[in-house]
Amino acid sequence: MKVIDFYGKRWIFFAISMTILVIGVVMSFLNGVQLDIQFKGGSMLKYSYKGKIDADKAADITTDLTKRVVSTQTTTDLSSGQKRLIINIAGDYGLDVKDQEKLDVALKKEFPDAKLKLSESTMVEPFFGKKFLTNGIKAILLSSVLVVIYVWFRFRRIGGLSAGIMALVALFHDLMVVYVTCVIFRIPIGDSFVAVALTIIGYSINDTIVIYDRIRENFKKYPKEPIETMTNLSISQSMTRSINTNLRSEERRVVVFILAQVNSIESVQSFALPMAIGSISGCYSTICIAGPLWVAWKKHKGTEHKIYQ
Amino acid sequence: MREGSYQMKNRKPVFFIILIITAIMVYTAAFGLVIPLGRALELVIPGAKDIRFGIDIRGGVDAAFEPVNLKRKPTRQELESARSIIETRLDNQNILDRDVTIDDKNGYVIVRFPWQADEKDFDPEAAIRELGETAMLTFQDEQGNVLLNGSHVKKANVGTNPEDGRYVVQLEFDKKGTQLFSDATERLVKQKINIYMDETMIQSAVVQTHIPNGKAIIEGMKGIDEAKALSDKINAGALPFSLTAKTHSTISPTLGSGALEVMVQAGGTAFLIICVLLILYYRLPGFVACISLLIQVAGQILALSIPQITLTLTGIAGVILSIGMGVDANVIISERISEEMKSGKSLGYAISLGFKNAFSSVFDGNITVLIVGAILMIFGSGSLLSFAYTLLTGIFFNFVAGVTASRLMIYSLSQFEFLKKPRLYTCLSRRVTL
Repeated sequence: MKVIDFYGKRWIFFAISMTILVIGVVMSFLNGVQLDIQFKGGSMLKYSYKGKIDADKAADITTDLTKRVVSTQTTTDLSSGQKRLIINIAGDYGLDVKDQEKLDVALKKEFPDAKLKLSESTMVEPFFGKKFLTNGIKAILLSSVLVVIYVWFRFRRIGGLSAGIMALVALFHDLMVVYVTCVIFRIPIGDSFVAVALTIIGYSINDTIVIYDRIRENFKKYPKEPIETMTNLSISQSMTRSINTNLRSEERRVVVFILAQVNSIESVQSFALPMAIGSISGCYSTICIAGPLWVAWKKHKGTEHKIYQ
Repeated sequence: MREGSYQMKNRKPVFFIILIITAIMVYTAAFGLVIPLGRALELVIPGAKDIRFGIDIRGGVDAAFEPVNLKRKPTRQELESARSIIETRLDNQNILDRDVTIDDKNGYVIVRFPWQADEKDFDPEAAIRELGETAMLTFQDEQGNVLLNGSHVKKANVGTNPEDGRYVVQLEFDKKGTQLFSDATERLVKQKINIYMDETMIQSAVVQTHIPNGKAIIEGMKGIDEAKALSDKINAGALPFSLTAKTHSTISPTLGSGALEVMVQAGGTAFLIICVLLILYYRLPGFVACISLLIQVAGQILALSIPQITLTLTGIAGVILSIGMGVDANVIISERISEEMKSGKSLGYAISLGFKNAFSSVFDGNITVLIVGAILMIFGSGSLLSFAYTLLTGIFFNFVAGVTASRLMIYSLSQFEFLKKPRLYTCLSRRVTL
């Protein structure tokens, strides 16, 4: 098998990634970013019901009781045909449980035939949301920084800092892809986003490290070859592994996703989709972004010869 | 030569030993294990069925209680008392599988409990409201007459009896309480006074003597824990506030009771597909990879079921990530061995080189994920902790199974004459060279 010239095609890859990112930024201005109630605070109630229901009427009742702006929406689950009434109560604060009970009674009185049953409720005070959000961001940032430091240390022989920073670029690339996925599919950014982000950090950095490891090894073997040849060789050599591993993991996620769809567990759906797309991105960014970008950086700085001497 | 052949013979059983260990682990993880230890004693190792699933999977209530109309932040002791009220009430409803924690810094009591399996018309809102109501602590005589109530208790704390050094609960009443208690004890010498929280009797004590000074001790505590629990409950009766939950969520049982079966089926199917592909692609190392993945999956399940760590959705993500890493470790190793074989190395040398070359990237990959896991343990709250836990145990089993057990098994198998054919170790990927 021939060595694929990843470095030579770098502008194509960079252009693809930039396009995705630009789409993401534009979409988040157009669509707006949906923060989950978990992060921004607020109140949401979900009822399952049978037959027909007047969602506007439900909104009016809720407004009367809570004195807050209310939006309602009805949905039908694809698999089970179960109908749901979703009540979003505006304002970034929760609803007292006593008020919620009053609301429950009022709704059931208004729609006695609908067999209303509360299936989910989330009430979050903004204070809690902020705490969750800052903790999540802290966790993502701190782990990124530590990972770079670790890569810097472990790969100091091939110029660890640049390797670390490029790994970080690949990582943020993947995080952005996860974010863009959430924006496009209107998945609210909540706890599961943080979990997905951290998983992708794990996958992406693991992928990137495998390639760096190969580069380091190849430099030992062929110290005279130019840096781009070395990098292309290393990426080509580990590519089967990257793709194979990702395919295997992808299967699992697909199974989980299907399972979630069948059971209509929203929290899992909002979790599995960004995860699946994010890890494809992780594979791509490793092969097409981290390596070529690292070479470009080295050449730009003129330090490509200061490797493994 | 003689030494070499000696080593060869010696290594053959290793594979079977690992196979037996794997079988035991898988069986235990799937069904649990009961080991009899003499007559009435037995050691029960819980399996997959007994994994504690989080509220987000099996439904339930998650609420953060805060004091109503309290201008200042509640003290640690007040929070402890509030917790003891909630615990007592949950006990009454027979909800034993629960987490009640105190957020000291922000003044919250956080309560999580799952939907009861047999509960059809469970009303979560009512449950949350009732948990937060002001506790009614009463002291009653045997006929049920209320002698005095919790608001007359100035404080209760744990002390020791100076005579025998055993733990007691010391009570101190306020002015009115002192008077009421004095009257009661005068009338009820050698009779019982019962202490009730709401409708539950939490303690019964026999009056030894008339107590006029408003200071009483309750003896007969089994240990400091019992004494502490009782004093918390009594203090709870003197708590000047009720609790409300403005941050709470309820989830009806979504996955239902068949969840585990469905998940096991789905997981099993995915696992089979992975194994078939690994074996087809990587041959003997692929086969070994399947066994090591079995160890890893079983180990992950046991790491959850034995200490009864709650598994949430994010925890499942952690399991998926770490099993993915396990597959990765095996893929890297198999690729490397195959590569060395193709470059014309002898079998034994190719295996040892393959592991050596693969190890550094497997190691680095796992350490970086370990960093992420450790960070989460520190900063994560709630469901992220579950993610961190499964990630960390996953990395542990990655090293144990993915690296060590795989190596032992491949070495052992490669000693068998009929397993020495090079094509068993070479995969379909083509070798890339300059």
